[in-house]
Amino acid sequence: MSAPVLTEEPGAPATASPGIGTRLLRGVLPYVLALVLAFVVSGIVIVALGYDVVGAYRTILTTSFRTGFGFTETLTKWVPLTLLALGFTIPLAVNRFNIGGEGQLLVGATAAAGVGIVHADLPAAVLLPLVIVAGVLSGALWAGIAAFLMGRFRVNEILSTVLLNFVSFQVLDYVATEVWSDPAAGVAATQRVGAGALLPDVGGPPGVHAGILLAVLVTLVTIVVTRRTAAGFELRAAGTNPRAAGINGIRVEKVAVLALITGGALGGLAGALEVSGVHGRALEGMQSNFLLIGIIVGLIARGSALWVPVVAFGIAILEVGASSMQRTVGVPAEMVLIIEALILIFLLLSDVIAGRLARRAA
Amino acid sequence: MTEFASLAQLTVVAMVPFLLASLGTMLGGLAGVFSVSQEGVMLLGASVGFLVSYGTGSSVLGILLAAGIGGVFGFALGWATTVLRLDQFVVGLALFFAATGLAGLLYRIVIGQSATTPRVDTLPRLEIPLLSDIPLLGRALFAQNLLVYLAALLAVGLWFYLYRTRSGLDLRSVGENPKAADSLGIPVARTRLWTTTAGGALMGVAGAFLPLVFTATYTDTIIGGRGWLAIALTFFGGWRPQFIVAGALFFAAMDVVALRAEVSGIDVPSQVLLVVPYVATLLVMIFAFRWAKVPQFLGRNYDRESRTA
Repeated sequence: MSAPVLTEEPGAPATASPGIGTRLLRGVLPYVLALVLAFVVSGIVIVALGYDVVGAYRTILTTSFRTGFGFTETLTKWVPLTLLALGFTIPLAVNRFNIGGEGQLLVGATAAAGVGIVHADLPAAVLLPLVIVAGVLSGALWAGIAAFLMGRFRVNEILSTVLLNFVSFQVLDYVATEVWSDPAAGVAATQRVGAGALLPDVGGPPGVHAGILLAVLVTLVTIVVTRRTAAGFELRAAGTNPRAAGINGIRVEKVAVLALITGGALGGLAGALEVSGVHGRALEGMQSNFLLIGIIVGLIARGSALWVPVVAFGIAILEVGASSMQRTVGVPAEMVLIIEALILIFLLLSDVIAGRLARRAA
Repeated sequence: MTEFASLAQLTVVAMVPFLLASLGTMLGGLAGVFSVSQEGVMLLGASVGFLVSYGTGSSVLGILLAAGIGGVFGFALGWATTVLRLDQFVVGLALFFAATGLAGLLYRIVIGQSATTPRVDTLPRLEIPLLSDIPLLGRALFAQNLLVYLAALLAVGLWFYLYRTRSGLDLRSVGENPKAADSLGIPVARTRLWTTTAGGALMGVAGAFLPLVFTATYTDTIIGGRGWLAIALTFFGGWRPQFIVAGALFFAAMDVVALRAEVSGIDVPSQVLLVVPYVATLLVMIFAFRWAKVPQFLGRNYDRESRTA
């Protein structure tokens, strides 16, 4: 299990740097192929089901841009998607799979809501940072459980992070029904947080909550840290060649533990921003399917922090379009999850093809 | 029926999805392919099994088709990791997403928006005469549905095949040291392909078991983490059928205890009881990962031309 997860084919020629043509072939071609194939295959399915495929695709692709509201919604979705995707890709750089973004988000949201309710009277300048820090810390702590089990007892992190998701559902449920419940909400939900815990909108109207600025900042920091600092180098070294890294004094296990905790912190941040910026409370189902899509985003971006925000934006467009498609054309919104999975699968397949073409050309 | 006897019967029923999914995971894993798509394939099996049974009235057909679609996903995993040598975890996750999406989509297409929740008949119990009259455990062991018996036979059969036949030894050697196996003429790719396919089929049946035996209805949350728990169970069982059976008993008991305690109104928040299976699994894994003898090449692809592996 030590082989790097997302690197080029080992058989690729290592001599000289490849020409621009080859680089294009290997860089862009797989994405184009994957997108086209995924939409063609899904289109065939949509037609076979007897729906209007042109209408369906037009709705999926244009909803985000037709109205200000659609665009706002897309940006709002972009925030948790990007944060969860980064929370997945940072541990992935050390070949650790964080499948616990859902739990980290929910626990972060629960803690954020708790702080926002208990200290509802504090002014925003104090309360808002407190709420966000509470979310970040509890997300980190939640992932920390899995990180501890992994570092100390070698418990597989895929399993521990996933199982903690199921525990987090009950944590939120308990808090939302027994501690600060709001019976009028219809679903299990906490009371609303104080006004000082709410994020203001930027831009608009309609505006996006200011958490997006924080998400952009976090993304930039992640890009710089992973690509331009010693810590980022250790992270990548520990991932690409753990043995060589270990010999050169990098403590691979420690790096992995820290990476997983950092991933959890980002999940917790996503939860806090959902509370402060979107719902004003923590509630059942607020995690939506962000975990699955976040992982898809991370994998399509091949673990690159630079590409995660771009891919996340594309996927957010699909997601916003999906619910609109269900309303207007009648195609079930699940179709979009299949399109996304197909993009990923075809991307993996075309990697293989592009790799073989490049090798033949060389 | 005494309280104990009914609990025992419930536990044996609850074992089956764990057992089937875990044996499926084990089968592919012993040949070196680590699947992480259980949760999705089980959901798809549940959806297909439910819908076919709902449409045709035949739960047997539902189970067979659930096995078929699970087998397709298992084959896809095997093919992508042997022929294309793609990363096992990434492909596994991709298949997990695809299966999850497909499961929900199929249900929405066939059932659509419906005011009443569609239901199917659950599998009938087959009581074995005389044996089912044994006190205490008789009904738990000998008054169950067909799949319970099949799962038990499968566990025994797999144990015999893997540890008492030449072919089973060959299979295990592929997961331990594919290069050595290859040099002995054992077809590495073919072994991995059939084990992942069969393993996927078992996961599909494990999923179909839930609507066709437990709930009689389908929901998107019906699997409830059992697919992930099955992976934990496979490690817990040390990748050996006999211990997986014992582990499944533990996992099922956790399931049943959590449900029972809730019904009986013990003064504990229901949320605490509902996390019992997951927390217990986390704790158990601390020990499981110490003693589990994991196939050496688990999760790694085999490239005949590579010099390092």
